[in-house]
Amino acid sequence: MDYLSHWLTQDLLLVLGLGGVATMLTRAARSERWSRAWTRFRGDRTGIIALCVVCLYLFIGALETFRVPVGGGDTKSLLDFVVGNIPDERSYSAPFANQVLTDTKAQPDPLNSSRHLLGTNQLGKDVFVQTLKACRTALIIGGFTSAIYIPLGALFGILAGYFRRWVDDLIQYVYSTLASIPEILLLVSILFVLGQGLGSISIALGVTGWVGLCRLIRGETMRQSERSYITAARALGQSHWNIITRHLLPNVMHLVLINFVLGFSGIVLTEAILSYLGVGCPVGTASWGVMIDSGRSELSRDPVVWWNLTAATTALFGLVLSLNLLGDSLRKAFDPKRG
Amino acid sequence: MAAAVWLAACDNNPHPPALQKTRPDGTPWVVRYQAIREDPRSFDPQYTYDQISRKVVEGVYDTLLEYHPMKTDPYELQPCMLAEMPVKAADGLSYEFRLKEGIKFHDDPCFPGGKGRELVAEDIQYVFQRIADPAVESPFQSTFEECLAGMAETHKAAKESKKLDYATQRVSGVEIIDRYRFRLRLTKQYPQILYWLAYQCTSPVAREAVAYYDGKNGREDFHKFASVGTGPYRIVSYVPRSLVVLERVPNYTTTVFPSDGFPADKAERLKPMAGKALPFIDEIQLSIHHENIPRFVLLRQGYLDLMGVDKDSFNAMVSPMRTLSPEFQNRGMILEPAFEISTFWISFNMDDPVIGKNLKLRQALAYATDSKRYAEIFYAGVAPVATQLLPSGIFGHDRERPRRYPFDLEKGKQMLAEAGYPGGRDKDGKQLELTLTGQGAGSEERQRMEFDQNCFEQLGIKVKANPVTFARLQDIEDRGDFQICTTTGWGADYPDPENYFMLFYSKNVSPVGKNYFRFRHAEYDRLFEKMVVTENGPERLEMTRNLQQILDDECPMIPTFHKAQYLSVQPWAPLTHNNLMYEVDGGHKYLVTDTVMRERLQREWNHPVLWPLFVLGGCIVAGVGAFIRGVRRSKNQTV
Amino acid sequence: MLNYLIRRLLYAVPILLGVIFLTFLLFRVVNTPEHAAINALGPKSSVAAREEWIENNGRNLPLYRQLATHVKQLGTFDFQPSTVTKRPMGETFLAGVGPSLCVTLPGFILGLWLALVFSLYQVFVRHSAADRTITLFCVAMMSVPTMVYIIFGQAVVALGLGWFPVSGFHSGLDGVRFLVLPVCIMAIAGLGYDARMFRAVFLEEIAQDYVRTAHAKGLPATRVLGRHVLKNGLIALITLTVGQLPKLIMGTLLIESFFGIPGIGNVMVLGIQTSDEPVVLACVFLGSLFYLAALILTDFLYAAADPRIRLS
Repeated sequence: MDYLSHWLTQDLLLVLGLGGVATMLTRAARSERWSRAWTRFRGDRTGIIALCVVCLYLFIGALETFRVPVGGGDTKSLLDFVVGNIPDERSYSAPFANQVLTDTKAQPDPLNSSRHLLGTNQLGKDVFVQTLKACRTALIIGGFTSAIYIPLGALFGILAGYFRRWVDDLIQYVYSTLASIPEILLLVSILFVLGQGLGSISIALGVTGWVGLCRLIRGETMRQSERSYITAARALGQSHWNIITRHLLPNVMHLVLINFVLGFSGIVLTEAILSYLGVGCPVGTASWGVMIDSGRSELSRDPVVWWNLTAATTALFGLVLSLNLLGDSLRKAFDPKRG
Repeated sequence: MAAAVWLAACDNNPHPPALQKTRPDGTPWVVRYQAIREDPRSFDPQYTYDQISRKVVEGVYDTLLEYHPMKTDPYELQPCMLAEMPVKAADGLSYEFRLKEGIKFHDDPCFPGGKGRELVAEDIQYVFQRIADPAVESPFQSTFEECLAGMAETHKAAKESKKLDYATQRVSGVEIIDRYRFRLRLTKQYPQILYWLAYQCTSPVAREAVAYYDGKNGREDFHKFASVGTGPYRIVSYVPRSLVVLERVPNYTTTVFPSDGFPADKAERLKPMAGKALPFIDEIQLSIHHENIPRFVLLRQGYLDLMGVDKDSFNAMVSPMRTLSPEFQNRGMILEPAFEISTFWISFNMDDPVIGKNLKLRQALAYATDSKRYAEIFYAGVAPVATQLLPSGIFGHDRERPRRYPFDLEKGKQMLAEAGYPGGRDKDGKQLELTLTGQGAGSEERQRMEFDQNCFEQLGIKVKANPVTFARLQDIEDRGDFQICTTTGWGADYPDPENYFMLFYSKNVSPVGKNYFRFRHAEYDRLFEKMVVTENGPERLEMTRNLQQILDDECPMIPTFHKAQYLSVQPWAPLTHNNLMYEVDGGHKYLVTDTVMRERLQREWNHPVLWPLFVLGGCIVAGVGAFIRGVRRSKNQTV
Repeated sequence: MLNYLIRRLLYAVPILLGVIFLTFLLFRVVNTPEHAAINALGPKSSVAAREEWIENNGRNLPLYRQLATHVKQLGTFDFQPSTVTKRPMGETFLAGVGPSLCVTLPGFILGLWLALVFSLYQVFVRHSAADRTITLFCVAMMSVPTMVYIIFGQAVVALGLGWFPVSGFHSGLDGVRFLVLPVCIMAIAGLGYDARMFRAVFLEEIAQDYVRTAHAKGLPATRVLGRHVLKNGLIALITLTVGQLPKLIMGTLLIESFFGIPGIGNVMVLGIQTSDEPVVLACVFLGSLFYLAALILTDFLYAAADPRIRLS
């Protein structure tokens, strides 16, 4: 039962979200603009490499997301099977340490040496495993947030750009209000209301994050609306719904895609700051933000505990960098003149 | 110009160059540098109740009684502004006090002519009036309401008339006998009141100062950050979020350095100081650092005179053998253990239908709690594992007492089965799920919660962690909206067992009192009431043992550890007291600092490493070169 | 012109009201009167004292009446004092603006200057290997969390090399040594993003017809870039950078709190960490105010710099 409810609440939603994105992408990809962009993108080596790296992170995240029952009502993620049974230590241990510290002095490790590739953290958990597990946290937060802010931003942007007049005024008012509140304060106050949890973080980030996309889409919709094909469609008496879904949406989808990729990287970076402010991930969840935050005091130890901070920073850096590069490549592919 | 800025900047000394200030007799001015974690909340002694503010005002406001700076096991009171220890009436319901003559308030513009006037018994009446005054919002009012005659009436009358009239609405329990003598009348036997007279909340303040500092026309508000006291220091500047500076008051004569009670290891050094005038330091700079790294770095560089070694910097300075690491030993640094008078625990809500009614379940959780490893991880093994409610330094603490529920996972599992959850599941096969509430703002605190969570989950049950902010945790405790609470404890207000055992007294059940365990036990209550009014002695010792026994049997909480840390002390500023009621690095008036030695060692320890500078410079030159070349080349290129 | 200004100001009023309403609601929902009382009186305070505090501070009134008082207070800049430190907010802000600007202004200018130099250079050597390398470098710099820059700076530059004090603040020339490190970190942390953005702006400008004309006239590339492109590109940059001005006044949260600079960013972090409601509400209000002011200023600068745009 636990397993099923877990599925329903988290994983299924994620899969549905990803599926939705995939369908939209395939639909949009039938258009000429998309196929031309795809041809251009294939020639871009940086973009391809970045895409592969992002896929690798997705894969690791997926491994950690899918859990199978192992009897006794417990579940294990696929990742747990891959990394095997790495034992916990009492507390910190350095990468490749082959000595254990019992009460007062160091002794050779009785089991086997160098079993922790990246050492262990304060609670004795393997840092390498934690780093991998944190992929899921980052992807879930990024995915959920995108699932919230992208529909919001795209919808409001198109509505404002298409209907203009009071709809535009209203939407502009709402996003000017949101945009004029210092972002971090808004985030924190929403998180205080919602309580802690991956879901709350995503909602908070989603509610604050749609403003940029909305502005972008609104501008693009306004430009598109003046084009002859929209005027023609209107003259032909097509319904608003049809015009929006058939004509406008496919023509702004590429902006949504680019924004999604670049926005994702921003979300991952923001999570690190939220951890510092004490409103980050729930207790016991592996997260890069929390690892970096604890690294802040670990560096003043001697011997310096650098592996926790380094592992988290590197993993986070890899994901954010490849997302940024991927976003750049996509932009170039869609708009070669301005790239 | 860049080079000039660089030269001006390339020095890691955070203190401004020593002002060429000298004492009136021509000897050098002695400054001491210490750090505090947070901003003080107020300098009003009747209002502040937090440790940080207390540490600041402690130098400014002398108390009627004070703790002997060196007798700590158990702690002992001695007169400070009183001429002698108070005399207790035969019925135990009143105490008579006599003030020292000639104690003066600090010179301040609030007094006519700017000269501080003498402290008289009438000032004590004023203090208790202030505590009763609703406008002061004194957190101590409820304490005195229960024991001091007239406190409740005055408070109520003032609330009804919206304003306390200091001329007419007096606290009847404070009777002025003559210019220097007064009497406190109690409503019940409460020997612990003497400890409150050693707390800054009863320090006399001058009514002239309160009237003058009204927060108008550019004057500070006395309720906030103005201070006129009778202590050895006064606050000369306070920059919020940055620095508090205390400066000595000329002609302070109220107390002198004690001449007895020296601990054996320090006696040699302290004996020559006996009877000397206090304070020894001219100026104390308390810089405010919220983050750990800066504080530790400053100590390491010699720019702080003393610091409590917390967990993170502990490994840097202390080798696994719990001695100072060679680097710091060579520097002459000294390590002093400091056991704070506090106990931390994991508390159970006795009103909770699952955990409160199932003793075996509580015991199972107690067996699963590995406090030793906890202390190792989070306190580098310095903090002693708690075996009982009372911390050491308080009468009734039993050094020999073993932990009732030692860490034993097998026994825990067995207890869990007996409790009705074999393997962590109830008879329907559903996994038991408990909620663990605790303070969880920083990543460190979250790890502590994660630790407890892991401990309990080893039994096969599921534990949901609910981290909340500090204020919300207090609120949750008061409302009883929790199952298990962790990261909580109690720091002693005064060194008496009553201060701890009252936490389980049924008349103190939250939200009225601090018994948020909602522990109700008739036998315990009866024993407690008797223990409160008994003098320290074998009889009272027996009572504390019995009270502890009941707590062990009923298990409303799992004691985890007594907070402790090492103090790392710079060679030029050896400790001269070991009184933790003064806070780890308080007791300002007893402190000493050798400035000559400090200056020498600071120079010796701080040599900036310069070679990366040249590498950096090289990189910049290369970059500029590449830049110019790129620009040149593109000059002829078409755009 | 004046008409436009008035209209913009009037437009700002409902936005400000929205901001106040939203944040007020959020905070009053989270921060029950009991929490506020505990914050103000401390954990060991009695329940009676807390109830009294709640009554004295009007926290038991219906929400709409509290909101009315709140709006009135903000409208007259009569902020409530902090519940934790009891300091009046006006004083706290005035004391904090100076230190904040000490760090953010030099950091902002240095960052801007560096970004300009880098992006112009990239435009000079555009589409070359050097250009691509610098772009990659910029993206890499964007991908490191600010906190890592700070931690690295403190652990290596301040502790390891001993060049600067690790934390603290002094006013006057003596305080320069405290500022060098945070200023550099601030400049570097934002450099990647700015340089990339500036490059895009300049490249767009360079594709314009007038650049081709200028070049056809035989003007050297340095002159075309240095004069025309820079000048026209700056118009676009104004929009992008003026929007950052409120951030300067509000300080940078992380840097100030790590380096112990008593600025407004530090006030905000403490306000958040101690759930000090009046502080956070005041910060939000002033932050929005600055933001809206900067928005209006941007429009005017834009119009002043580009005669094609008329304010109507």
